[in-house]
Amino acid sequence: MGMPVIDLKNISVKYRLAKDKPKTLQEYIIRRIKFKKIEYNDFWALKGISLEFTKGKATGIIGKNGAGKSTLLKVIAGVLKPVSGKISINGKIAPLIELNAGFDRELTGIENIFLNASLLGYTRKEIKRCIDKIIEFSELEEFIYSPLRSYSSGMISRLGFSIATELNPDILIIDEALAVGDEHFKRKCKERILNFKNKGATILFVSHDMDEIIEICDNVLWLEQGRIYIHDTPKIVVGEYLKHGKCQ
Amino acid sequence: MNGFKNEIKEIVRYNGLLHNLIIRDIKVRYKRSMLGFFWVMLHPLLIMLILNVMFSKVFNIGKGSYSVYILSGIIIWNFFSQGTTNAMDSFRTNNELIRKVYFPRAVLPISVITSSLIHFVFSLVPLFIIIVLTNTPISSKIIILPITIVPVLLFALGISLIISVLNVYFHDTRYIYEVLIMAWMYATPIFYPASIVSGKLEIIIRLNPFYYFLDSFRTALYLDNPLFITHLIFGFLFAVFAFIFGLLIYAKNKDKIVYYL
Repeated sequence: MGMPVIDLKNISVKYRLAKDKPKTLQEYIIRRIKFKKIEYNDFWALKGISLEFTKGKATGIIGKNGAGKSTLLKVIAGVLKPVSGKISINGKIAPLIELNAGFDRELTGIENIFLNASLLGYTRKEIKRCIDKIIEFSELEEFIYSPLRSYSSGMISRLGFSIATELNPDILIIDEALAVGDEHFKRKCKERILNFKNKGATILFVSHDMDEIIEICDNVLWLEQGRIYIHDTPKIVVGEYLKHGKCQ
Repeated sequence: MNGFKNEIKEIVRYNGLLHNLIIRDIKVRYKRSMLGFFWVMLHPLLIMLILNVMFSKVFNIGKGSYSVYILSGIIIWNFFSQGTTNAMDSFRTNNELIRKVYFPRAVLPISVITSSLIHFVFSLVPLFIIIVLTNTPISSKIIILPITIVPVLLFALGISLIISVLNVYFHDTRYIYEVLIMAWMYATPIFYPASIVSGKLEIIIRLNPFYYFLDSFRTALYLDNPLFITHLIFGFLFAVFAFIFGLLIYAKNKDKIVYYL
């Protein structure tokens, strides 16, 4: 099997939810002067997660809202530093950034490709090498010199998907991003993801669409209140998950 | 110390992002304006004109042209004040990015200050035009003009790292800073000569890094000043102190700000 691409050891993430948070400097200083402590409630978004992700496998992540799915992806992407635990990653990560975030509406499609790809840590040289393929896959040739504000949301997500996948990252993170785009493009995306996997990339996939999960993933992780509830084959986990949903 | 080195390495590794953010900043800012980038040069000229009409009879700056004096002050001050004011918001306006993608966060304020520096370089054009028009003899120290800008750059970077972090935690930072920068401007000899400030107020001028920044810049440009080297060194001391302090604040908070955005 070799070295795991992503290795998480005992990861915990805590959000501090202030009971009442001083929004202004003045309030904060006054409180400090009065020696009034700010009270916090700790909310554990992830608690003691240990996991390994291997090359060429797609892992689906499911669970209720607030179960820690997005937090887990953020820890892997390096956006959040866990309060405890160890994380090691071998390879380049491309998170599929949701709509608006990594784009600028005033810039053209081409300019946005550069902006977005450099956010993922690619050099201008690497981007130039792939730019034609990115445009081709997105099917946006006609619009590529127009500012992004003239694009529909489906078109922007097509562009985002093309950028993230055309640059061949080792790890692809997809957070419910396939939901947008028409049927034809969705099909294309799925094909590409499966292709990607065959080429040895690791895929992390959050979705509420169980059919998609079964179609794409090799194993599924069910998170419940920041802990791993079940981690098994798609059939078993999705089966349990659907049963569980019906009971409630 | 090792963490420091790694952080700087990370920022250098993301130079492509820095590049693209600067391009975005400049392109977007002038995209829908008719005069476009030309405003960079027109703006300080217009401000100079206004100050000239208002104050040319009030202040006696002694040797040299009053226009050159004001304009050289304005462009250095604008580089700092506009740069830091914009950089202050950089974490907050890019909160979506920070919450979704990893990249060294300092790239955001650094890109704003760098784009301010580019604006500054272009505003040297009207400055030199005015120098020629007023027959002002250029100093023999003109070759070291770029060196006199380095402390302003370091100082601006340091301050912007501090206030952009503060602004994430306390949204009043921006209002406080706006007032502060206004007071700071009046405490800086931009359109009046430093020599008119005397008595107790003199200490304020002496503690103002911009007294040294402006003085070195103007001396390298067209003035004579026996204290040139001393003032340049003082400027550098202020700048390096602010820069290191800024880096420390940033390093301590870079992983925390994401929870507050």
